[in-house]
Amino acid sequence: MTEDLEQKLRDEVRTLLEKGKIEHVIGYGEGSLKFATTPIMISDQADVDRLVINPFIHNNLSVLLPEVSGKVAVVAKVCDARSIISLVQNKQVARENVFIIGVPCNGIVDVAKVEKLTGLDRDEIDAVTWKDDRLVVTFAGGSKEFSAPEVALDSCLDCDCSGFKEFDLVIGEITPVAANKELSRVRIKEMEAMTPAQRWEFWKNEFSRCIRCYACRQICPVCFCERCFVEETEPLWVSPLPRWQDNLIFQAVRMMHVAGRCTDCGECQRACPVNIPLGLLTGKMEDIVDELFDYRAGMDKDAAPLMAAYEPEEAEDLMR
Amino acid sequence: MKKIKKQNVAGLLEKWQKEFTVFVPSKASGVLQMAAWDGENLSFLERNRNTAIPPKANFLPTMQKMFGFRKEEGGYVLEPTDEDPPKQLLFGIHPCDARAISIIDMVFKDAYEDKYYLSRRQNTVLVGMACTSPYDNCFCTSLGFGPADATDVDIMLTDIGDSFLLEQVTDKGKGVLAGAKDLVEATQADEKKAKEVKESAKAAVSTKIDTKEISKRLPLVFDDKKFWEEIAAKCVSCGICTFLCPTCYCFDISDEMLRDGSGGARYRNWDCCSFAVYTKMPAENPREEKWRRVRQKVYHKYAFYPELFGVIGCTGCGRCIRQCPVNWDITQTLNSLPEGTAAKAEEKQKTS
Repeated sequence: MTEDLEQKLRDEVRTLLEKGKIEHVIGYGEGSLKFATTPIMISDQADVDRLVINPFIHNNLSVLLPEVSGKVAVVAKVCDARSIISLVQNKQVARENVFIIGVPCNGIVDVAKVEKLTGLDRDEIDAVTWKDDRLVVTFAGGSKEFSAPEVALDSCLDCDCSGFKEFDLVIGEITPVAANKELSRVRIKEMEAMTPAQRWEFWKNEFSRCIRCYACRQICPVCFCERCFVEETEPLWVSPLPRWQDNLIFQAVRMMHVAGRCTDCGECQRACPVNIPLGLLTGKMEDIVDELFDYRAGMDKDAAPLMAAYEPEEAEDLMR
Repeated sequence: MKKIKKQNVAGLLEKWQKEFTVFVPSKASGVLQMAAWDGENLSFLERNRNTAIPPKANFLPTMQKMFGFRKEEGGYVLEPTDEDPPKQLLFGIHPCDARAISIIDMVFKDAYEDKYYLSRRQNTVLVGMACTSPYDNCFCTSLGFGPADATDVDIMLTDIGDSFLLEQVTDKGKGVLAGAKDLVEATQADEKKAKEVKESAKAAVSTKIDTKEISKRLPLVFDDKKFWEEIAAKCVSCGICTFLCPTCYCFDISDEMLRDGSGGARYRNWDCCSFAVYTKMPAENPREEKWRRVRQKVYHKYAFYPELFGVIGCTGCGRCIRQCPVNWDITQTLNSLPEGTAAKAEEKQKTS
């Protein structure tokens, strides 16, 4: 199944390059780590066979769009494609310069979840394969099976891809098999149930680990500011020292800045080397944006960016 | 050679706790790192995998107060920090990380003696644990040592089943073992078993690089912009590979003033050459472009460090590979350096 899709993707990309419809493609190549892929950029037809599709296509490749100029195709899961449209909405990239190739993302495996469920590290696992809708994890001395919602990326649980219409080409069929709205909100519900004091303690504990490597910001496609507020020194908005309070302020402000353009793709949480559950913040934020403004970033390329557009008749007179 | 039964290690740690803060590999904080032992959890005796955060954090904390200052007539008065360097014992440190500490020692006592780092270093005992389960992308054996090398620790432990074989490497190590109960003489069979464990750990390190070839090729590829652009293309310029690198030691310094301007304090915190602002100066930024920053990282470890200190500034711990969000892999870069022509090498030699 995967091989068929891979072949189809390679054929399509080869044709696109041949016909000059695109100059480059950003896709997934074989990773050097087990159960991982790595972003690759290809401009030559001879390299097309390096493209892969498998259950480990984790990266949101839209973050690499600024790396190439001219017409570029991007291999994209639904969340990633929404990021591209969010970038279009925010005038970071012209829609006609991006060719969005949708790939089936039902069953992208969250390796961190598999590690947690098995108590093993990535390299101690021998094989991770789908058997129908069950994931079979094989390791020295045995194997375990998990249901799709147990091991899928959080963003797959939250998937509502039916309304997304912006793919220029779709390889295979996109169906949200792991979607489970209830499960996707379990941790957010737990956070909501906390008293403010408990919540403060919870985030204090989480942000105490932050080392300010800024991987969350760097991996984020919609953190596109040329100069981040944390790098300003006059005024100094936030201290560069990784105290938990400053770490929290950094993240809170980053979240406010991406509200309305964040698609909750999950990359900030995946990248975090100290396991801060940033998906709780992006997930909750997306809910708030939807609830208050009936707005979902990256769904409609013609919709004005939520926080960067102003209509004179708006009730808020801040801008007048 | 001595040995200690695993069930007796807790007693030894308790003895050490009277004098030191005993750090052990722990996931209690949410990430595997050296953390003060809680007096109970001993899972690190069985599951011997290296930490995500390197133990350099015990010597070069993520942030550290250097001194305070107070405004007085005619200038500022410096107030040394009242914090005494903590007496630490790091238990279960892997040989790659112990080697890394020896490597950055050279920097902190080179041009001047960095008292903040060195005072912590002098107050610390390193109890190493032979690495019996290297990660699949570890490559320490390519860097002139191995996963069970005892050179850089004070005491070395090797798991031989129900006991640890215990080597007293330095006088400092011997000192902290004085009066320790439960140490018994190891038998020849124990030593043989330890040797086998060490050998099999060494054999388990599967990723390789060729440092000789690298040192030959690196000087020839410095100006190959196209090569570095390709290598750097997928990098997102975050700080993971450097912050989690056990031999990266860069720090930034900043002053914090009290609101009323009467004084403040100077701090230092980890900094990173992957950030574009790292080299930003008023007039220009010599490493504004990403490929220059990625090149810098590789050269610092594999060219500049050997030039300055005669040793490669990398221990093959593999953290930069495992933790990278785009799976950028330094061994792939090092193994793909283009072969220079003899003529080019000669030309380079003439000009240098």
